[in-house]
Amino acid sequence: MTQKPKEQRIETEVLIIGAGVTGAGIMRDLALRGVQSLLIDRKDLCAGASGGNHGLLHSGSRYISSDLHSAIECREESTILKHVASQCIEETGGLFVAVEGDDPGFAENFAALCQPAGIACDQISCADAKKLEPLLSDRLFKAYRVPDATIDPFRLALLNVAHAQMLNNSSFRPHTEILLFTVKDGKIESATCRDNRTNTTLTIYAKQYINAGGAWAMNIAQLAGCKDVSLLYSKGTLLVSHDRLTTHVINRLRPPGDGDILVPGGTVSVLGTTSIRVDDLETVKPTVAEIDINVREGAAMIPTLAAARYIRAFSGVRPLLQSAGGSDDREATRGFALLDHSTQNLSNFSTITGGKLTTYRLMAEKTCDLVAERLNNSEPCQTHITPLPDEESCKWTEPGASPKYWYKANDPEDMILCECEMVPQSAIDEIVKDAPGAEKEMTLKAIALRSRAGKGPCQGSFCGIRIASYLYDQGHYHDTTGLIHMRDFFNERFKGTRTVTWGLQAAQMELAEALHCGLLGLDNINDD
Amino acid sequence: MTETTIPIINFKEKAEELLPEGASFEACLTCGLCSSGCPASGIENMDPRKFIRMAMLGMDKELSTSKWVWACTQCKRCQHVCPMSIDVSQLVFLARSNWPQEKKPAGIVRSCQLIQSTDSTSAMGLPPEDFVFVVQDVLEEVRELQPEFKNLQAPMDKKGAHFFVNQNSREPMSEPDEMVPLWKIFDIVGADWTYSSRAWAAENFCMFSGNEEAWREVIQKRVDAVNELGCEVWLNTECGHSYYTMWNGINRFGMEADFKLESLVTYYARWIREGKLPVNSDWNRKNIIFTVQDPCMIVRKAYGESIAEDMRFVTKSLVGEENFIDMQPNRSANYCCGGGGGFLQAGMTEHRRTYGKRKFDQIAATGASYVLTPCHNCHSQMEDIGHHYGGNYGVVHFWTLICLSLGILGENERTYLGPDLLECI
Amino acid sequence: MIEEDRNFTAELAVIGTGLAGFAASIFALKRDIKTAQIGNTGAVAYTTGYLDLLGSLSPDYPSSIEDPWQGIEQLKDSHPGHPLCRIPKTDIFTAFEQFTSFLGECGITYTPPEKSNIRVLTPAGTLKPTLCVPSTMKVGSTAFSQKEPCVIIDFKGLKGFSSRQVVANLKDKWPKLSSRRVEFPDMASGEIYPEVMARSLEVPATREKLAKILVEAAEDAKIIGLPAILGMHTPDLVREKMEQLTGLQIFEIPTMPPSVPGIRLREMFEQLLPQKGVILIPQQKVDKLVFIEDGAQLSLSDSFGPITIHSKSVILATGRFLSGGLEASIDGVSEPLLNLPVTQPASRRKWYREKYTDYRGHSVNSAGIEVDSSFRPLDSRGQPYSKNLFAAGVILAHQDWIRGRCGAGVAIATAYKAVEEVEKLLT
Repeated sequence: MTQKPKEQRIETEVLIIGAGVTGAGIMRDLALRGVQSLLIDRKDLCAGASGGNHGLLHSGSRYISSDLHSAIECREESTILKHVASQCIEETGGLFVAVEGDDPGFAENFAALCQPAGIACDQISCADAKKLEPLLSDRLFKAYRVPDATIDPFRLALLNVAHAQMLNNSSFRPHTEILLFTVKDGKIESATCRDNRTNTTLTIYAKQYINAGGAWAMNIAQLAGCKDVSLLYSKGTLLVSHDRLTTHVINRLRPPGDGDILVPGGTVSVLGTTSIRVDDLETVKPTVAEIDINVREGAAMIPTLAAARYIRAFSGVRPLLQSAGGSDDREATRGFALLDHSTQNLSNFSTITGGKLTTYRLMAEKTCDLVAERLNNSEPCQTHITPLPDEESCKWTEPGASPKYWYKANDPEDMILCECEMVPQSAIDEIVKDAPGAEKEMTLKAIALRSRAGKGPCQGSFCGIRIASYLYDQGHYHDTTGLIHMRDFFNERFKGTRTVTWGLQAAQMELAEALHCGLLGLDNINDD
Repeated sequence: MTETTIPIINFKEKAEELLPEGASFEACLTCGLCSSGCPASGIENMDPRKFIRMAMLGMDKELSTSKWVWACTQCKRCQHVCPMSIDVSQLVFLARSNWPQEKKPAGIVRSCQLIQSTDSTSAMGLPPEDFVFVVQDVLEEVRELQPEFKNLQAPMDKKGAHFFVNQNSREPMSEPDEMVPLWKIFDIVGADWTYSSRAWAAENFCMFSGNEEAWREVIQKRVDAVNELGCEVWLNTECGHSYYTMWNGINRFGMEADFKLESLVTYYARWIREGKLPVNSDWNRKNIIFTVQDPCMIVRKAYGESIAEDMRFVTKSLVGEENFIDMQPNRSANYCCGGGGGFLQAGMTEHRRTYGKRKFDQIAATGASYVLTPCHNCHSQMEDIGHHYGGNYGVVHFWTLICLSLGILGENERTYLGPDLLECI
Repeated sequence: MIEEDRNFTAELAVIGTGLAGFAASIFALKRDIKTAQIGNTGAVAYTTGYLDLLGSLSPDYPSSIEDPWQGIEQLKDSHPGHPLCRIPKTDIFTAFEQFTSFLGECGITYTPPEKSNIRVLTPAGTLKPTLCVPSTMKVGSTAFSQKEPCVIIDFKGLKGFSSRQVVANLKDKWPKLSSRRVEFPDMASGEIYPEVMARSLEVPATREKLAKILVEAAEDAKIIGLPAILGMHTPDLVREKMEQLTGLQIFEIPTMPPSVPGIRLREMFEQLLPQKGVILIPQQKVDKLVFIEDGAQLSLSDSFGPITIHSKSVILATGRFLSGGLEASIDGVSEPLLNLPVTQPASRRKWYREKYTDYRGHSVNSAGIEVDSSFRPLDSRGQPYSKNLFAAGVILAHQDWIRGRCGAGVAIATAYKAVEEVEKLLT
C-alpha cells in the first residue's frame, strides 16, 4: 500500500518563472516595491544564457555598428551597475583591436560610430596597446580603449535573490519546472509544476505570473496559450583558458564575428563566441568545430591562444526576437521585449525575453513597472539607485576570492577541499546552510554553482571526491545519494571539458578517469 | 619612521619566465604529491601546491609576504616527486630575494653580512689571518701531542696543489680540533692539498638570504682564489650547501672556472676502494647501528645517485654492512632535515622543529644509534630535533669515524662520540 | 667549470618508469639482461596498489567480470587487437607470478594470481574487481564476502576519506559495517596526509599509540579497515605489528591521490632496482633516440649536462598522455619521441562520447601505437621501425586500460612479452 502523496499547494503574490539574472532581478525589484514573489527554475540559477556568456559588461561599443539603441542601453545600464552592483564587477576596461586582414575602413570609423551613442572611445597607438596587453598580436594596426568591464552573473543572481529573500518572504525554488497553466476567465488561475528532484507535483497560485524564461520564454508562453512570443535561437560557444591572459577585455575591431572577444573572468579568460542558429534548446552543447574556430580566430588577436591550456567550454543560447533579420544573428537586435499578453486575453501574465546580461536590470524594471501597475502598487523602481547588498553565502563565486578569505582567516582546521580554486570547508558549510536555493542533500552541482569548486584545472575531478566525502562526514548524505551526486557532477563537468581535452588537459583527464572509473567504478553504478 | 613594505612579485609571470615550458606552474595537475611529500606542509598553513595555486590565482601579495618562504628550505623534493617536474624552489628563492633586508630573518642576513665582511667569505666573520693562525696553532698542538703525526701538514696557499680544500667556519671558529681528522686523512692518502687564506670558507648564507648579488660576489671570490692557486680540484668537505652554491653559482653567473668541483665523499670512497684509506669495521664489535643522512644539497640537488652510493659504500666499509641501515625514504627521495636554507639561523625554532619531525621519525624508524652525514646543517638540525623529540641517537662526521676506524682519532677529536663509541676506541 | 661526459652501455634500455617500464626491468633482471631504465618516476605514485588483469569487458558488458582468464577468451572475439589477446595466457600468468613475487621479495607481499578476480573495496564504498592485491588489503575483501562485523576508521584532518561514506554505500550489502573517526597520534591539528601517517607508523612508538586508539574504536568488532597508511617501506611488518598490538585483523583501503600504495611502489622500485643492477636514471626524459647499426643511442640531460646511453635494444614503455608517451594536440594524437604513427579516431570530434561515465568508454583511450607479433612498433609503412625496438604498456593501441580495468595486466603482460623478444634478439 502506497500512500498517496499529498498535493502540495503554494500561494504567492507573484510567480516568476526562470531564475536567470532577469528573473532574479525581477524578484528583487518587486521586493523593493514591497511585492512578495516566488522564483522558480526547472534547473537552477543562471542555468541558461545568464550562465552561458562571456560575463562581459558591455560598454555598448560592441553594438554600435548593428544596433545603436542597444549600444546606448548598454552604456547607460553598465554605468548604473558599476554603481549599484560594484562587488560583481571588475572594471577591466576594454580594447578594440584590428589586425592585418581586418577592414581598415571599419577600424577607421569606429570612434566616430561610438560618438552618437555617447560611449567614451579613445584611439591609442599600437605600441601603447601592446604595452597594456603584451600578448596582443604583432600584426595589430589599430586600437581603441573603451569602458568595457566584466561581471559575475552567478554572484549577481545570487545576491538579487538573497536580497529579495531578506526584504520580504520572497523565496526561490530550484528544480521546479512549469508543466501547465490553468486559465480561467482571462486569468491564469494556477501553475502546475513538477519538482524535478523528487518527481512530485505542486500547484502554485499567484496573482501575477511572469515568464522570464529567456530562450525558453516562447515554450512557457505557449503553455499559457500565448502565441505572441516568437523567438529565434542563436547558440554561442565559448572556451575558458587555464589562467588569465589579459587584464582588459579584448574585442576584435570588426563587425561581430566568431572568436572575437576575450574576456578576463577573474583568474581565467573566456574566449568566444560562435553563433549558430539552433532549433532545439535541449541539446545545446559545444562542438569541436566551434572550439577550433574560436581558437583559430582568437589567435589572430592573441597568438598565444593557439597554444593555451583550456580547461572548459560551454554554450549558451541567445534568445532573439523574431523580427530580427539579416544573415548573422549577431547583427540582429539585442534589444529586449516585454509582452503583457493582453492581446492573448490574459491580464495577469507577462513575458520578458531577449536582451542581454548588461541590460538585465532595465528588463526587470520594465517588467516590474507593468506588474506593479497590475497589482495597483505605485512604488517606483529602486534598483537603479539602491546598491545591491552583500551576503556572506553569496561571495564564493568570485574567482580568486575564496583563497583570500581563507588565507586571511589562517585557520588550519578549515581545510581546503577544492585545491585548484582553494575553496575551504567553511565555504561549503555556508553554501549548504544559507545560500539561495540551499536544501537538504543539495547536489554537488548546486554547491559548485554557488562557489568556485570544480572551476579550476582539474575541473572538479579531485574536489568532487573530497567534497562528497566531507558531506558524508557532516551527515549531509546517508546513502548512495552522495555517490550519484558525485557521478552526476563529474558528468556535468565533462560536458565542458570534452571538446577541449588536449595537451595538458588530456593528462588531467587520464588521471581523472583512472580515479573515477578505474578505481571508484562510477561508470558502473546502479542508479536504483 | 616609515615601515618598509615588501614589494609585490607577479609570481605567475615569473614562473613562466624561470621554469621550463611544460614544467611551469600552469602544468600543475593539482594532485598534491608535492604537498604530501613536503616537510614544510602545514607550516604557516601553506604547502607547495597552495604556493602554486596561489601564484596562478594571482595572490601575489599574500605570497610575497608569506613567512612560509623562510620555512621552505628549497630542498626540491616537491619537484622530485612531481610527475610534471614542477619546481617551487626557484620561486621561493625569488620571494626571499624580494623581502627588504630589514624584514628578512636577521640571523640569515647577519651571516651573509659576515661573509661579505672579510676575504675569508666566512659566515662567522673569521678573518684570513685568524684562520691561518688557528690552523697553524692546532697543527703545532697535534704535532706536539700526537707524536705519530709530528710531520702532519696543513698547507696554506700552496700554489699548484691538486686539491683546493674548503672549510666550514664552525671548526676553526668553535671546535678547531675537529679539523684534525681531515688533515690526518689527507696525510694517510698522501693527498696534495692546500687551504687558502682567502675564500677558504664553505658556507653561503647570501644564497639563503635571497641576496643574489652577494651570492655572486662570494662565489666570485672563491672561484678567483682557486684559479689563482692553480688547483685542479675544488674539494668540498663535509658541508652540503657549499657544493650547491658553488656549482649552481658558477653556472648561474656564467663564471670562468678552470677547475673541477668535487665532493670529499667521492674521494673517501675512491681512497677506500684504492686501498689508500685502509678502514675496516673490526672496531664495531658491539654492532652499533648507523644510518646516513643524504644532504639534499649534494644528493637530490646535485650529484644524485652516484654520491648517495658512495656515501653508503663508505659507511658500510666503516661500520660493517650488517650495521648499516638506510633511512626511508633515502637518496634523492630523502627528506630535508630542516636545517637547510638557513632555517637554523632564521630564528623560527618552532617551525624548524615541526619541519624536522619527519626526519626524526625517519631516524627513529631505523633504530640506529648514530647518523652519519657529510653536512653541517644536517648535523646541527638532527642533533637539535633529537634532543627536542627525545631521540636516542648521536650524529657524527665521516672524518671522525674514518679516523676512529684507523685508530688515529685524537683525544680532542671525540666530541660527537657517545659512550658506546668511546668504548670502541 | 670542467665537466665529464657520462656514458652508459646496456643490453636493454627501458624508456619509461611506469608499471610497464618497471615490470620490463624486473623481467630483464630475471633473464640476466643488463638494463638501463630512464623516465620520470612521478606518475607511478598514482597507482592504487591493486593489480588488475581484466575487470570489465566494456563495451559489451557494463558490469565487472569474475573470471579474467575467461574474459580474455571473450576479448579475443570482440577485440582481437587487444594486447592481452596477443600473449599466451600461460605467459600472462607467469608474468603476474614473477612480478608479484618480486614485489614480495622486496617487502610488499601480494596475493598471487588466481583463477578468478577478487572484489576489493574503494574509498567511495564501491567494489572493484582485481587480480592481485597487497597483503595489507586482502582482509577487507574476505571480510566483505563473509559479512563479518567490521569497523571502518577514518582520521580527523585526512581529506577525501570518510568512513561514513564507505559505510553508507556498503551498508545494504554489509549490515555489520560501521564507522568511527579518530585522531592520529600527535597529528591532532590541521590537515594530515596518508604519506605522513604511513611513515610515522614505521616508528614503533607511533604504532603503540595508534593501537590503543584503534582498540577502543573497534569496540566489539574483530576486524577494522583503515585508509592505506600501514607503513611506507615495510607495510607487511607494520600490519603484523599493529595486529599484534591490537589483537585485531586490520586491512587497508587505497585512498585518492596522493596515496600511499603508489608511493610505496615508486620508492621500492627506485631503491631496489639499482641495488639489483639496473642502471636507473629517474626524473629524466629521453630527449633523443636514434638507432644505429647494432642498437640504439639515447640522449638525455640532467642538471650536470648530457648523458648518453648505448644499448643493443630498447623497450618503449612511455605510457599515454599523463606520462607523455602520447601527446594530444588540437589536431590529433602523436608519439613524440620517434614520431611513430598512432592509430586513432579519424577526428577529434570522435574522441569522447557525450557522457563521461558512459560504460563503453571513449575512443581516444584506445588510440596508440601498433606493433607486430614480436611487439615491435610499426612505422608508417607497417614495417617494424627497428629490429631493436619493442614496446610495452598502455601506449599500445586497441585497449582502454581504464575502462577495461586492465592497466596492470597490459603493462605486466606486454613487458613480459617484450623482454622475451629482447632476449631472443640478444642471443
